[in-house]
Amino acid sequence: MAEKTNCKYVLKAEGLVKVYGTTVKTEVLHGLNFSVKSGEFTSIIGYSGSGKSTLLNILGALDVPTEGRILFCGEDYGKMKPDELADFRNKNLGFIFQFHHLLPEFTAIENVLIPTWISGVSGHQREKMNRRAEELLEMVGLKAFIHNKSTDLSGGQQQRVAIARALINDPTILLGDEPTGNLDTETTDQIYDLFRKINQTYGTTLIMVTHNDQIAKRSDRIIELIDGRIHSDREKAEETRADVG
Amino acid sequence: MNFELKVALRFLKDGRGQTVFILLGIAVGVAVQVFINTLIAGLQIDLVNQTVGKSPHVWMVGQSSYEAALAANEDANYFRGNFEALTSPLKNWENIETILGSRTDLTAIVPVAEGSAFLIRTEETVPVVIKGMDIADADGIYGISESIVSGTASPGGDQILIGSGIASDYNLEIGDIVTLTIPGIRNQNYTIGGIFSLGSVTDDTWVVMRLSQAQKFLGLGSDVSKIEMQVADVYSAETIGGELQARFSGASVNNWIENNTSLLAALNSQSMSSLIIQIFVLFSITLGIASVLAVSVVQKSKQIGILKAMGTKDRQVSRIFLFQGAMMGVLGALAGGGMGVGMVRMFLWGTSLETGTPLFPLTIEWVRIVVILSIVVASSTLAAVIPARRSLKLNPVEVIRNG
Repeated sequence: MAEKTNCKYVLKAEGLVKVYGTTVKTEVLHGLNFSVKSGEFTSIIGYSGSGKSTLLNILGALDVPTEGRILFCGEDYGKMKPDELADFRNKNLGFIFQFHHLLPEFTAIENVLIPTWISGVSGHQREKMNRRAEELLEMVGLKAFIHNKSTDLSGGQQQRVAIARALINDPTILLGDEPTGNLDTETTDQIYDLFRKINQTYGTTLIMVTHNDQIAKRSDRIIELIDGRIHSDREKAEETRADVG
Repeated sequence: MNFELKVALRFLKDGRGQTVFILLGIAVGVAVQVFINTLIAGLQIDLVNQTVGKSPHVWMVGQSSYEAALAANEDANYFRGNFEALTSPLKNWENIETILGSRTDLTAIVPVAEGSAFLIRTEETVPVVIKGMDIADADGIYGISESIVSGTASPGGDQILIGSGIASDYNLEIGDIVTLTIPGIRNQNYTIGGIFSLGSVTDDTWVVMRLSQAQKFLGLGSDVSKIEMQVADVYSAETIGGELQARFSGASVNNWIENNTSLLAALNSQSMSSLIIQIFVLFSITLGIASVLAVSVVQKSKQIGILKAMGTKDRQVSRIFLFQGAMMGVLGALAGGGMGVGMVRMFLWGTSLETGTPLFPLTIEWVRIVVILSIVVASSTLAAVIPARRSLKLNPVEVIRNG
């Protein structure tokens, strides 16, 4: 397995607490501590309301913890300015959401390219990125749909475009919030295979919040949250880890 | 293409119906602005032109005879025959003319020997105004040469020019001999050399002769009654008059603005109402854009959330909305500018259907139009500021959580 970074632990959560509300306070996360190894495929499972989406948003630098901190290869998110955080998300993180969230105004390949537009690639870089977007769409099996409006694609196709988009800037970590939540079993299987392929080909660290046991069981590590606490943290032995089918 | 511009353009294109409606709204507003602006400007130019186009803007006369008499403490003879000479003649006027000639803001300088007299034709006695002036000079203000309806424009010997009103009222023709009289002072016979029609009341009262003829007839010697002037910019008449008054303290300088205060007050209030209409039109354009974009921020909140999650900076997001405002402004202003020019052309065409000439001339002033369009584009961009600021508050977590 190729690894993207030199640091062993790509993410470290230290004493994460999240409280919502100001008058009526609801503590959603109660001091979580864990580390994610570079190149690891982690699933976060738990009942709804267990705090797994909140955790993912904090790991993805979309939300800030009330207490505690997140270190990315030793660098504290909390010390970055808003613009630096935006740049950081653009370059190091890829997001895949349950409702795929493509921009309906753009075609499949344009959606994939948007993260490169945000960071402002120019000149021959742009050509290179266009080719990369095409390759990624080919990898997710959508070569024939490159120039389709995103609204003309099926749910599974849209989710695959979203995966290609999350990969375009070659992120260190791919974060998924119920990425197969509204897909059928067969498509879910295909998406899982894709994740595993990405994990193995690019050495991307994957952190997926999921309800789906099939996905969870096939990942390297399962963190189970119950009521905002880590209930179990199981790692598979290296030799039993699934290979790409 | 710039990322923000690309997204802004795509958002506008995607909300096609909405975009077309607001663009139409802007265009109609701009068209009204361009049309009203051109109409009012044309109307005012026409009115002012009719008022002072063929008359002096500034004129200089000698001091009031009464004041001169008081100053000299003598019982001055300020009657000329039966007519009261209200002002004393201008002496040394050639020097004054030379000094005036060095000013570039004066377009015409006409020394005039002017006085009242009667024109006697058989039994009829007609009150007339004697205007003695060099015809070539006078053309600078009155355009006499081009207004001659019969006879000559350059009277020689005992020839004089009379207005077409006098000619038709008293059956006078070229070659007729008439008597001009200042009762108790002078009777003199003249031959009618030409008849002019200036198209104003002066056609019924004016008798125009050479300066030297008039000086002799009116008993002015080598003096003139006044110097009439036109200025390049009619509205500067008051300033120029003031300057001349300060320079020539012995004379009395007047201008058309002092004599037409009510016309100017009317023009001013007209300009003001046109300005107010335009401000309100601009205001409603701005509100229209602001409300469309405010709705758009809500409609596109999902897209904005996702763009933010992917690393779009707040300032980039707000630029997307500013660009939308600016683009709507530019497109609406261009369309509206075209419509406005079309409305002006329609007006000119429509009002000239019966008479062959438009009601009054309108000139399309491109500078004015460019100013209007620029203001519209600027306010459209400004209208996007509030929606742009609202977009900053959008939290990607909320959007993503709610699907």
